[in-house]
Amino acid sequence: MNAPVAAADLALLSMTEAADAFAAGEVTATALAEACLARIAAQDGVVNSVIRLDREAALEAAAVADAARRAGRPLGRLAGVPMMHKDMYYRAGRVSSCGSRIRRDFRPAVTATVLERLDAAGAIDMGTLNMAEFAQNPTGHNRHFGDCHNPWSPAYCTGGSSSGSGAGVAARFFYAALGSDTGGSIRLPATLCGVTGLKPTQTRVSRAGVMPLSFSCDNVGPLVRTARDAARFLGVTAGHDPRDPTSAREAVPDYEAALTGDMRGMRVAVCETWFLEGADAPVVAAFEAALDALRARGAVVTRIAVPSLRAINAYTALISRVEGAAIHANWMREHPGDYAIHLSARLYGGYAFPAHLYVEALSRRGSLLRQFVAEALTGHDLVATPTLRTRVPTLAETDIDADPANWSRFMAVSANTRPFNYLGLPAVSVPCGFDDRGLPVGLQLAGRPFAEATVLRAADAFQQETSWHRKAPAL
Amino acid sequence: MEPDQVTMEAIARWGGIVLPNEAARIGLADNAALIAELEALRGTMGFEEEPSGFEAALRDCREPGQ
Repeated sequence: MNAPVAAADLALLSMTEAADAFAAGEVTATALAEACLARIAAQDGVVNSVIRLDREAALEAAAVADAARRAGRPLGRLAGVPMMHKDMYYRAGRVSSCGSRIRRDFRPAVTATVLERLDAAGAIDMGTLNMAEFAQNPTGHNRHFGDCHNPWSPAYCTGGSSSGSGAGVAARFFYAALGSDTGGSIRLPATLCGVTGLKPTQTRVSRAGVMPLSFSCDNVGPLVRTARDAARFLGVTAGHDPRDPTSAREAVPDYEAALTGDMRGMRVAVCETWFLEGADAPVVAAFEAALDALRARGAVVTRIAVPSLRAINAYTALISRVEGAAIHANWMREHPGDYAIHLSARLYGGYAFPAHLYVEALSRRGSLLRQFVAEALTGHDLVATPTLRTRVPTLAETDIDADPANWSRFMAVSANTRPFNYLGLPAVSVPCGFDDRGLPVGLQLAGRPFAEATVLRAADAFQQETSWHRKAPAL
Repeated sequence: MEPDQVTMEAIARWGGIVLPNEAARIGLADNAALIAELEALRGTMGFEEEPSGFEAALRDCREPGQ
């Protein structure tokens, strides 16, 4: 065994650092799990990120991993690493609440393919995480399990819908978490909580055994500490799945091999339409500083206009609202009172959209993707935006249940993330500074379809140039 | 803008779904913003006549050489 890593530092490691330390014999899986469990016990009372903690099962799985390594058996790429996941990834026989009262006792008969792949890679599943009810809000409010609180300052939103995933990774409760992203639900909590979140290309990761929100725009991806973590996580989870016929058959590259730290020759576009309109000054300042960091790594940054964005954004809202409304129609008819006010109110509006516009939005998705790529990604490798245009809002000022007048502030949170769901493009959010109230700011980088290696190469180069991703909240 | 009573009746008739709470009035009224966006785009958009699968576009728009 190599020199052990100091116990007090274990929870602060990144996912890949923890996995590599375990593989090298520098730390045991049991010690990693105990470090995470101790932090959860001490601090989740403030954050409220956990719905279900399988403490004993996690320690048993860690002991099995330790025994396997001692015996010299082959180890998976994520062996010994404790994780927790948004409570909408089904594991056969285990309750999957989807953050709702309606599914509080729902025990699926199947296990999600992504969980099976993480299991096969040796990851340790410690339980399930708080989330927006049915993944349907961008703030982190939850009336049934309690709101999730930002670990940087508990009065503020965590972002949603993968609220527990973002807050828990930021609080160093576990090394990685699955989120889901239909309009920004991975990238928003990553931004608001100061961690790294990746929405892969539409169809890149199997959705079998995952609660649907919008069949056209749902994506599966990780919230982690670093771009390197995201690269390894994606390498384990991506790839065609016969159980999800919509999953892509593209080869899965070695994403970590792409992380050179070098952006020379890369061109980054900044869209002056849409993404910066009405942006708060502290966000713009952090974003401009982030662009300087990309330039320092060799990137060339240019400003462009993208006329297609207005149509893209309008269509995005149509598709996700209509599909969400369709999925919930029976429950909205039979149990409307079981939803939180903000959710039933939002779903209700979705029943008013005319069908011909929904069909039009779907029919134009391919051509608008081609148009966006022509306008923004021809001659550029990436598009850069702030992930959230405004400073992080408080839970109170986005609470529709308490005051419906908060509606517009609530809906504005996902303005910069939604377009990439309609377009199906990969996009990562990385921390790029703090606002004047000490809450994180995020940089979003999006690329061409299946260009996760390029997106992650840039994100990793940014993280080699800066240290924002290493900052942890003092709970 | 107050939501149209006709719209609420149509939702009830087509789907059997009734206004769940007062906040839903705001949710419905908020559709006006999207209607305005679509109205502004009218004439520039329309049903795509040619076959144009989204998955095919994803493949076609990959990085050169990928």
